[in-house]
Amino acid sequence: MKPSPQPFLAEALDRLWAQFLPQLEERVGILEAAGAALSARELTIGEREQANSAAHKLAGVLGTFGLTKGTILAREAEILYSAEPDLDPETPARLAAIAAQLRAIVSTRK
Amino acid sequence: MAHRILIIDDEDDIREVAALSLETVAGWDVVTANSGAQGLVRAAECQPDAILLDVMMPGMDGPSTFRELRKNPATARIPVLLLTAKVQASDQRRFADLGVEAVLFKPFDPLTLPNQIASVLGWN
Repeated sequence: MKPSPQPFLAEALDRLWAQFLPQLEERVGILEAAGAALSARELTIGEREQANSAAHKLAGVLGTFGLTKGTILAREAEILYSAEPDLDPETPARLAAIAAQLRAIVSTRK
Repeated sequence: MAHRILIIDDEDDIREVAALSLETVAGWDVVTANSGAQGLVRAAECQPDAILLDVMMPGMDGPSTFRELRKNPATARIPVLLLTAKVQASDQRRFADLGVEAVLFKPFDPLTLPNQIASVLGWN
């Protein structure tokens, strides 16, 4: 009988996680900076597009590493940045909270 | 004989995880490209059995790459599966209307991705 690929796959995924962690943390950093800029009413169009892209990429990849909650949060951030994030007065706080939650999720995966 | 899959994605983390999944779980041969333009060249050179194509890429995006693949007689018949993190229904309809074999979604489960692809392509 062919051995299950699951243990080897899990180990290899852990290695890839470690390899790409700096890149993932950088994307979270973009969301943190954008959230702070939005709260200060200083978010530029370029920063907003960058945040939208970072959120999109995080939404696509976090669940692949088993972080489903991270994908849900990043997807919410992507939707908020796709719209006019400064129109709703509650959006800046929500985006800042999402960035903080994503930071915690990314930093606690073993 | 193992199937050969070409993965075209500009995001190196996604590309590597997908390659790991297809090689480890299914035992398929994997070729990768990090842009639409590179993907067109690799597809013609390697003649893969199927192409897993990211939608959002800088420069030539997934739909544009797909249209170029179809224009070239050397790649026109290779089945293409789009891979996207876009979940809105309007996006999904737009992608399905392109004529691809299937639209798969990110995030994917590395343990089940090969089975998803095999089911779509009748390789089971």
